[in-house]
Amino acid sequence: MTQATSPPRRSAIAAHPLLSAGIAILIAADIFFALYTPIYARLTPKLGDFPFFYWYLLIFMPVTSVALWLATLLQRRLADDGEAR
Amino acid sequence: MSNVNATTFTIVVVLFLVVTGAGFAAARWRRPQNMMHLDEWGLGGRGFGVFVTWFLLGGDLYTAYTFIAVPALVFGSGSIGFYAVAYTILVYPIIFIFLPRLWSVSRVHGYITPADFIRGRYGSRGLALASAFTGILALMPYIALQLVGIQAVLTVMGVGSSSTNTYLKDLPLFIAFLVLAIFTYVSGLRAPALIAFIKDTLIYLFVIVAVFYIPTRLGGWSHIFGAAQTHFASISPVTKKPLGTFLPTSKSIGSTRLDFASLALGSAVALFLYPHAITGTLAAKRRSTVSRNLIYLPLYSVLLALIALFGYMAVADPTTAANVKKSGNAQLAVPYLFQHMFPSWFTGIAFAGIIIGALVPAAIMSIAAANLFTKNIFAEFFKPDASPELQTKMSRWVSLVVKLGALLFAIELPHTFSINLQLLGGVWILQLAPMLIGGLFTRWFHRWALLTGWLAGMVFGTLAAYNVSSATASHWAASSDIEFGHTIYIGLSAVLLNLVIAVVLTVILRAARVPEGTDETLPEQYTADPEQAPAPAPAAVGATP
Repeated sequence: MTQATSPPRRSAIAAHPLLSAGIAILIAADIFFALYTPIYARLTPKLGDFPFFYWYLLIFMPVTSVALWLATLLQRRLADDGEAR
Repeated sequence: MSNVNATTFTIVVVLFLVVTGAGFAAARWRRPQNMMHLDEWGLGGRGFGVFVTWFLLGGDLYTAYTFIAVPALVFGSGSIGFYAVAYTILVYPIIFIFLPRLWSVSRVHGYITPADFIRGRYGSRGLALASAFTGILALMPYIALQLVGIQAVLTVMGVGSSSTNTYLKDLPLFIAFLVLAIFTYVSGLRAPALIAFIKDTLIYLFVIVAVFYIPTRLGGWSHIFGAAQTHFASISPVTKKPLGTFLPTSKSIGSTRLDFASLALGSAVALFLYPHAITGTLAAKRRSTVSRNLIYLPLYSVLLALIALFGYMAVADPTTAANVKKSGNAQLAVPYLFQHMFPSWFTGIAFAGIIIGALVPAAIMSIAAANLFTKNIFAEFFKPDASPELQTKMSRWVSLVVKLGALLFAIELPHTFSINLQLLGGVWILQLAPMLIGGLFTRWFHRWALLTGWLAGMVFGTLAAYNVSSATASHWAASSDIEFGHTIYIGLSAVLLNLVIAVVLTVILRAARVPEGTDETLPEQYTADPEQAPAPAPAAVGATP
């Protein structure tokens, strides 16, 4: 992400609508599925001895890590392409 | 000191001494040419890479809140305490949106505090003052929470509890506090950064051992969850209501899904408005250091989820539950659990981990508050020509004053759920969201509109929090209240009020063409990634790579 010399972000977004949309969806989904409690405030299905509510929250951590890693990769491509142009 | 376990006590004292030594030695770590400069004392030379930043931010984020307050809430009320887990998930996608922008613009302009940015962005000293004041105020209950956490461990250790004299009773706390104050004074941000390594090692060790070992002693996870579910469904003889919830309920009042979600969202947005979290961020070397850390930091959150479950283990263990009930203090749940489950030497390691885990963030927070005061109040309004040496001297002293303020909070506010201390800080710090996060993306908001919205949010939030009462406390009893028939976190309702006022007034002020102040930042500076820090003063810049 060496953006010191790259053109302003706005043009990069316009040039790569798919990449930008990908980043936006990753982040938005991450927020939505953690915030919208009715999805996971339930007991079943259980995973081992863990009720759904509890294992859902545990599993969500590594999922967030991966989602943010993907978003960072996409963002780097956005920045690199911005420089290449 | 009658019922002190000698082994536990010795191990805690030895580890505490090791950490104290490290705290003083830290002044020599990555030694700068000139320590008497705020970039050095307050930001550790702005040269921390991914690794140190991870430890430093982790040291910031996982505190007595995590080890004492969250399990205490889980122990006392059940599932609502797991909002803290949802919160630490939400933090990362949310800061992914704005934190790299804040890092970039701060690096280009040499901003040390969030108030520096606000002053530069809106050309308004008043708004910067408001944000500095809010930051310092909000940090005090948060630091107080650390002290309450240390106190909980010391109480269970049996240290000092024999005397009825407040000062003698809390003497060990004052000693810990004094040591913290002195090494912060001497070493600045380097001390907590170095100690964070020791702290994290201890914490990972005892949490992982506890998570695998304790369930085997308690008949497995199915028994732990089963006991918790039964316990929280049973009716309290005092309130005639269930003791708690095993899942957030779909009702509109109580431990509801909305309350759960609003606490999680409010806390997540609040976290990186706190000056100490921003301090940790600005100490990073590169923009990519910040964004790469967002990938690794959720690892800490896994830990948090497991620690929250300690609350249920304490419910499932009859001895621990009885001990906590006898003491009437839910904060003691985790210390009692460890004391009962572990051999005394391992209890010592765990207790030392919790104490050090509270000292590190307390140090970082008081440094951040001191930076704010010095840069944005002292140098801005009282002594504009203050030299870097004078500023650093000032910061050192203020870091002591702030800790004393925190001590007052710790003594004065009710302790039923110490988590309220953190949530109260959240109510205040959230009022910076429109000007700080808003300002990173748009210059549309008018400075006077932001100031009015901030004032409204602060007044409403403080009054609302003051008015919450419970069976045991007449004021400051909780951080959620009922708005329009639904239980919701006060911080969130207050910042919504703040935002609405800011938007409406901006429209009016813009139509009236009221001067909006000069903006010293440029759009491309929000994505910049300069290698060197700019030179705010000639001495000691970028002293170490």
